[in-house]
Amino acid sequence: MKTSWLKYTAGGLFALTALGILGAQAQQEPADPMFQAMRDEIDRARKLALANLEAPYFVEFTVDEEESFSVSANLGGLLGRRRERFRSPSVDIRVGDYKFDNGNYVGSGVGFGTRYDLGRFPLEDSYPLLRRYFWLLTDSAYKSSVEAISRKRAAMRNLQQGEQLNDFAHADPVKSVRPIRRLTVDEEQWAGRVRALSAIFAEYPDVKNSAVELEISEGGLHLVNSEGTETREPESAALLRARAVAQAPDGMTLRDAATFHAHDAAHLPSDAELRRGISEMAQNVVALSKAPRGEDYSGPVLFEGQAGAQVFAEVLSRNLTLTRRPVGEGAGRGGGGTQNSELDGRMGARVLPDTFDVVDDPTQTEWRGRPLFGSYHVDREGVVPKPLRLIEKGVLKSYLLTRQPVRGFEGSNGRARLPGSFGTSAATVSNLFISATDSVPAAELKKKLIELCRTRNKPYGIIVRRMDFPSTAGLDEVRRLVGGQQGGRPVSMPILVYKVYVDGREELVRGLRFRGFNVRSLKDILASGDDSAVFEYMDNTAPFALVGGAGFTAETCVIAPSILIDDLELHPAEEESPKLPVVSPPDMTR
Amino acid sequence: MYCLPLLGLVASNAPAQPTVLLDAMSQELNRNFSALKEKADPPPYYLSYEITEQEFRSVSGTMGTVDATSGGKSRALDVSIRVGTPKLDNYHRVRGDRGQFTSGAITTFEDNVNSIKRRLWLETDRAYRAAAERLIRIKTNTQVKVAEADDSDDFSTEAPATSVQMPPKLKFTEAQWQEKIRRYSGRFQNYQSVLTSHVSVVSQTDTRYLVNSEGSRLAHGRGFARIVISASSKAADGTDVSSFETFEAVDESGLPDDKIVLAAIDRVANDVSSLLKAPEAQPFVGPAIFSGRAAGVFFHEIFGHRVEGHRQKDESEGQTFTKSVNTKVLPDFLSVVFDPTRKKVNGIDLNGWYDYDDEGVKGRAITAVDKGVLKTFLMSRSPIAGFPVSNGHGRRQPGLEVVSRQSNLLVESTNAVSDARLRQMLLDEVKKQGKPYGLYFRDITGGFTTTQRAGLQAFKVIPVIVYRVYADGRPDELVRGADIVGTPLSSFSKIIATSDKQEVFNGYCGAESGSVPVSAVAPAILVSEIEIEKKAKSNDRPPLLPEPTSMEASKGGAR
Repeated sequence: MKTSWLKYTAGGLFALTALGILGAQAQQEPADPMFQAMRDEIDRARKLALANLEAPYFVEFTVDEEESFSVSANLGGLLGRRRERFRSPSVDIRVGDYKFDNGNYVGSGVGFGTRYDLGRFPLEDSYPLLRRYFWLLTDSAYKSSVEAISRKRAAMRNLQQGEQLNDFAHADPVKSVRPIRRLTVDEEQWAGRVRALSAIFAEYPDVKNSAVELEISEGGLHLVNSEGTETREPESAALLRARAVAQAPDGMTLRDAATFHAHDAAHLPSDAELRRGISEMAQNVVALSKAPRGEDYSGPVLFEGQAGAQVFAEVLSRNLTLTRRPVGEGAGRGGGGTQNSELDGRMGARVLPDTFDVVDDPTQTEWRGRPLFGSYHVDREGVVPKPLRLIEKGVLKSYLLTRQPVRGFEGSNGRARLPGSFGTSAATVSNLFISATDSVPAAELKKKLIELCRTRNKPYGIIVRRMDFPSTAGLDEVRRLVGGQQGGRPVSMPILVYKVYVDGREELVRGLRFRGFNVRSLKDILASGDDSAVFEYMDNTAPFALVGGAGFTAETCVIAPSILIDDLELHPAEEESPKLPVVSPPDMTR
Repeated sequence: MYCLPLLGLVASNAPAQPTVLLDAMSQELNRNFSALKEKADPPPYYLSYEITEQEFRSVSGTMGTVDATSGGKSRALDVSIRVGTPKLDNYHRVRGDRGQFTSGAITTFEDNVNSIKRRLWLETDRAYRAAAERLIRIKTNTQVKVAEADDSDDFSTEAPATSVQMPPKLKFTEAQWQEKIRRYSGRFQNYQSVLTSHVSVVSQTDTRYLVNSEGSRLAHGRGFARIVISASSKAADGTDVSSFETFEAVDESGLPDDKIVLAAIDRVANDVSSLLKAPEAQPFVGPAIFSGRAAGVFFHEIFGHRVEGHRQKDESEGQTFTKSVNTKVLPDFLSVVFDPTRKKVNGIDLNGWYDYDDEGVKGRAITAVDKGVLKTFLMSRSPIAGFPVSNGHGRRQPGLEVVSRQSNLLVESTNAVSDARLRQMLLDEVKKQGKPYGLYFRDITGGFTTTQRAGLQAFKVIPVIVYRVYADGRPDELVRGADIVGTPLSSFSKIIATSDKQEVFNGYCGAESGSVPVSAVAPAILVSEIEIEKKAKSNDRPPLLPEPTSMEASKGGAR
């Protein structure tokens, strides 16, 4: 394993050495320039006081570090190729006390203070330079914090205060230092593979537009705070995504994507498997463009394989996080940064059938011999997570919590995985296990669906095999989806939807959307399969976890069975479709 | 994990093959153009494809360390499609509203014909729809029916151009630049009063490939290399002070040697240190000298933008000079030339040269002002009354629509005196006007000017280094926080004389069609009256805590 520490001396005073890896219980001060600089400037920051304003009660420095290689291609030609390494610092300075501080205010996290032209954060571990950066970042952050708390106090004077929640939760100090690896990747080889994979689409002239993208990254988060927590948590991911778009004769645009995840490039699927997955996706898109339009439907829907896990990832897990409305946001400004959980206030209530258990477990690293994608040792706030029983026998037992107190809960359970709004952290799941005690063989589910149709005199039922989550939609489409739904958050579009006639025959249909599908619908799960799909994805805070929709992503994994849900509604999308191009596509040469 | 959009790219060593790309472009152009002419309603009468290939490498650093290295290669596609007739087409301006049809779509940077052709086809389809929609809207727009003052055509007729001249391959010795950037940026460790400082180098080639339905077929381009030095600090009263210097050349071999760069770093650092101690400028009206570089920026902002052809036709524009052709607009000892064919002045590479503009018209020199008299405008293929053709100044940044832009602006003077004489003339003017001092503008970072009618027809330029030049023989005094304000017509009438030495300002100009490389070359000018006002300033305090002691201890110069 390689460490990133580069030798550099400034003025000969600080001889920095390439470091070994520090154990989790290191007692001595590590001779690590990054940690040393963070520690030393935190010590100074605690003594900060502007005129007669209060000194900080909590100081935390974090540095996100990432080294990445990305390459994209279209029809056998590279579109872009990039290697990058950067560090992105963040300084959290809290004034006031745990009960009332500058946080949880619309102005929290806004830079009121001086901004220095610091440019990019140093990549070389020069102790004096790092201290200089932390010094100036601290100065900006402290000035912003004292400004924010005074504005917050002024705003509070005009507000009727309901329940008084503390602004910040205590956490035990943690020392957990793991190595961050440097990226080693054969760029030429991967560029060649991506190029070759993108050329698969040359065999599908009906695919109007397509791309294959690869992103490989190594990095992690350095964290030191004034409570004595020091952590360094590595994070790595490799992701290969193929996207394709086709157009139906009536103009409707159809799209699909195939995404492959691994912790590093070496563990991505083999070429043969990638080719198979991408070809299948290309065939699906072409089939969709030739499929009939779906019609209004109300009745049972079977979510098979990956689609079952996608439903839990989207409809359940996104509601396991409680958000707090910051002071000054005002009421009725819906659709903003704070979307309330549909499970808010439902602690102890039944949210799934009583045969279901849901556990989030970042500590588990492997499942049935396969590495789990969502594991971690310590979260973005330096809190160590434990396995968390979220739902027991269908009853809601807990939420995913950060250090931000929310109604009914104070104290993190180590689920801060993304930067949130207003200077907070956002929680998300890690490895989410969904299990049911009364599962039936997966193949039985289709039979059950047909039985239901028979008894209810319906000509057909619906099977969904892929949802658009995380979504690869364009921004216009997302705006339509978010805007078009009344009440509750909309659910992403089902991509692969099949009518199943009572004789067992299947027919692919296009252009359907769910209506009124929300977390309550999950109480109506009629049956679950004994299969368990492992669905890996990059979560973010954007609607539908839209790919590219937010700057930060977290590796996440949902392990769930196929599910049959009663009484869902689907309706045809009402969208304007562009005409077909006047000019026919250019011939493809092989 | 932090995600960045997939845009930048890394250099490839494949030799440039202009023919593969150009052939694919013309084949697809002909196929799309003839099919659209035959089947589409309204049919297009003009189609062009321009692909801009950019390859770059860069290194940046601070305080003796490298903080980023970057590089990439990319191609962006701009489709121009015109429906209607040259008399009235989809590009017709309606009271300031311009059409935007191109998107600068990312296109493969490899010579893969399948991928290139697909992208051309998709983008042609997209641009055609937008063009047809806007033409229909324009035709039903009542505003067009109101007689426009200038009813010239929307598109000029030009002879097709054919030329394939590839620029030299990108050269960048990265290891050497890393070492230099460490050394250069480390120099700032000698200056304790500087809070932040950066030194960067970038080397780039731009290659443009253009085909159109009139038969043009072009490949041309050039290199750009640049060193940027910047530093900033904060004065005790909260004022942010900064200074910078840049060096430009066509490639890395033209960049200056260590001695010159280190001297520039010392200058920038000393400027910042001096600015920290300098008194705040007071509002002032009186005589001043602009250094040649400052005068170049002044002319670029205040004069250059007002002779851009498209502004003369747009009725939302101020049209300062529209009706001034063949009349005196500057003192008769001044001429202004725009010359995209000029590559060097006094041995310094100019930033604003090119062989062909972004409409495939060969760049040519124009004398906009001859001995004070306005002769012509900067023209793209959008004609204006009296100027039916382009003079090769239609330019854009990829992804935006072409408008007329500046190239290399050269101010020429027949009333040129030595620098010493010019200074004496300033002092005489100060005494004559009974002022305690005049001003000397050494460096101007840039500025902005409003040409729109709806706004104030004024300009503001932002000088960084301004001295008071006292009449009583006291040494010149640096002041901080001044902005120059004024109105264009009155400012030109106040130019009294110029120096006899031309200086070069190289930079990038931003306007409707994005950022384009330009130069401004001018002698120092003496003006009898200029107005400065106080700059808006921050009220923040300087850092509350002293500099980390470790940093101070480590000072003492480069290793």
